[in-house]
Amino acid sequence: MKQVVVHPERCVGCMQCRLACATAHSQTQSLLTAVLETPTPRPRIHVGVGLHAEGFPNRCRHCDPAPCMLACLPGAIRRDKERETVLIEPDICINCASCAMACPFGVIRYHEDSSAMPGRRIAVKCDNCVDRQRQGLIPACVEICKSGALTFEDMTDAMKRKTDEVARTVSQGAPQAELSPGFALLQAVKRKQIELGKSGF
Amino acid sequence: MKYVIIGNGVAAVHAAEAIRSLDSRGSIAMISDEAVDPYCRPMISMVLEGSVAADRLPIRGSSFYESLGIQAVLGSRVTSLDVVGRQVRLGDGRAFGYDRLLIATGADPRPVKAAGADLGSIFTMRTEAHVRRMLEVLPRARKALILGGGLVGFKAAYGLLRRGLDVTMLIRSDYPLSQQVDKTAGMLIRDELTRCGLEVRVGVAVEAFEGNGVVQGARLSDGGTVECDMVVIGKGVLPSLDFVPRDRIPVDLGILVDEHLQTSIPGVFAAGDVAESVDIARKTRWVNAIWPEAVQQGRIAGMNMAGRQVTYKGSLSRNVIRIFGLDVMTAGWVSPPENDGFDVLQQTDRRAGTHRRLVFREDRLVGMTLVNDIEQGGVLMSLIHRELPVRKPRESLVGRSFNVGQLL
Repeated sequence: MKQVVVHPERCVGCMQCRLACATAHSQTQSLLTAVLETPTPRPRIHVGVGLHAEGFPNRCRHCDPAPCMLACLPGAIRRDKERETVLIEPDICINCASCAMACPFGVIRYHEDSSAMPGRRIAVKCDNCVDRQRQGLIPACVEICKSGALTFEDMTDAMKRKTDEVARTVSQGAPQAELSPGFALLQAVKRKQIELGKSGF
Repeated sequence: MKYVIIGNGVAAVHAAEAIRSLDSRGSIAMISDEAVDPYCRPMISMVLEGSVAADRLPIRGSSFYESLGIQAVLGSRVTSLDVVGRQVRLGDGRAFGYDRLLIATGADPRPVKAAGADLGSIFTMRTEAHVRRMLEVLPRARKALILGGGLVGFKAAYGLLRRGLDVTMLIRSDYPLSQQVDKTAGMLIRDELTRCGLEVRVGVAVEAFEGNGVVQGARLSDGGTVECDMVVIGKGVLPSLDFVPRDRIPVDLGILVDEHLQTSIPGVFAAGDVAESVDIARKTRWVNAIWPEAVQQGRIAGMNMAGRQVTYKGSLSRNVIRIFGLDVMTAGWVSPPENDGFDVLQQTDRRAGTHRRLVFREDRLVGMTLVNDIEQGGVLMSLIHRELPVRKPRESLVGRSFNVGQLL
C-alpha cells in the first residue's frame, strides 16, 4: 500500500503542490481553465510557515482511528479501507466545524467546492487523490514536487529507510545521510533574513 | 457475559459497538426511554432551524440493533438498580440481570420554578420529540421567549430567529454562552445575534407564565411583562440518575467514575452526560456533557466492559459554534479565576474580525477562545488535551499564521 510521505526538511515552500492539488480537484483539470471556475478550486494541501520561515507541507494524515471521524455529527466522514483514506461525503457534511476542533493537524478547510451542491460550504480535506489513483496516477502533490519533500511510497519501505537514517546518526563514524547542501543554504538564508528583519534592516 | 446498557444515546451506541467488536457472543441489552433509533442529539437544533431534515438525525441505520445482535428495550425508563442482586428494574416491572452494566442515561433539562410552567407551548429542547412538538406550533408562532443563554437557549434562539420569529432572550450574565466563551467573544456573539433581531434582556427572571391553556406571555421579576406565543427553557441539564442508589455508588453532580469509566462498584460503568470524570484543564472532577466526550467515554467504557483495560485520560470542555457570519471555537479553561497563576495572551483584530485568546498555566496551554479563523483550533485543542509543555514562543500560538509546523 503506497502512501504520501512528507519530508518537511526538503520543503522549499514553492507552493507548487497547492496549485497541483487545486487543479487536480477542479472541474476542468487544467490550471489555465481552473482559475476561471466558480467556485475557485482550492488546495487540500497547505504549506504552513515555520518559525524560521521554512515551509511545512501539511496534509491529512488519514489517522486510524481518525479523530475527525469520531467527532463528525452527521456521520459524513468514513474510511476507504482499500486506500487507507479518510473521506468526507459532501452531501452529508453540514459544515458544523466539529472536525476542525478534532483535527490535531489543522488540515480541514471550509468553503464551497465543486464536489458539493452549488452555494453550499462544506468541510474539505485531502482525499489522497483517490480518483487519480483509480486511473493509475499518483497524487498530484507528489507528482509536482521537485524537491522531494513529498514522496509516494510503500510505508514499510519508508519506515525502514528512516529507521536506518536514525540508526546511522547514533553510531559513531557511520556515513551520515546528507541532505543536499542547497537545502541547508536556503534555510540559513531564511533564518538570516528573519534576524536582519528583527534587527531593523 | 451479560451486558446491559441503559441509554441509547451516542455513548451507549459506541459502547455497544466496542463491546461487540471484542465479544461476539455475549448478550447485550439496551434500555432507553426514547423509542427511536439512535440519533445525533446536537443536530436537533438544526432541525428546528430548518437547515437539516429530521430524517438525517439517525447516526446508525435502522438495522443497528439487529446487526449487532442487541436486544432493544425501548420506551421504558429504568426505575431502580440493585447492585447486590445485579439487576435493573423498569417502570413497567420488567427486570434485567447483568454481569456488566453501563449507565449512559444522559441528562434531563433542569426544570424552571415559575407559576404556569405547565401551560402549552412551553418547551424544553433535549430530544428530537421536543423539537418535533416545537415544529408543530411554529406555523402559528410569532414571538418566542427564551429562558437562559446557555448552549440550548442560544441554539433555540438562533433556530427561531432563522425561522423568522421575534425572539427575546432572558439571561443572567451580560452575554450568552458565558460558561463557554470569554467576555470579548460573548459580546461579539451578542452583537451578531442582536444585529439579526434578537432582543437580549439581562438580569431578569420569569415569575409566572400567563395564558389560557397555551402560553401568551410572562410576568418578569422586574415587574414588566413579555408577550409570547412560545417559550423555550434552557436552564441547563441535570444528569439522569434518579434510579442510582447513592448509598452504594458515589454521586456528585454526575456518577463518579475512575480512569476506566468504572464506578465504585466493580462491573458497573458510566459514560456520557451522566458521568463525572476529571477535567484535564481544571484538574478537578467535572461533568463535561458534550458529544465528543460521550463518544470517547462510550468507546472506552465498552472496551473495559468487554475485558480490555483501556485508560481514559479525562474530559475537556469544548465547543464550536457557527452563527450567521461568526465562527466561535473554545476549549478547556476559558475564563479562569483572575490573579491565580494564569497567563492570558490575546490578540483581537477588528478589521479581520478575529479574536484569539489563549490561557496558560505555567508552561501548558489550558484554554482557548477563537473567533473566526478557527481552522487551526484543533491543533491548540490537542495541545491542551495532551498537556504538552509549550516550548515555542507563545506569540506564535496566538498569531493568525499559526500552524502545526510551528510546534516542530
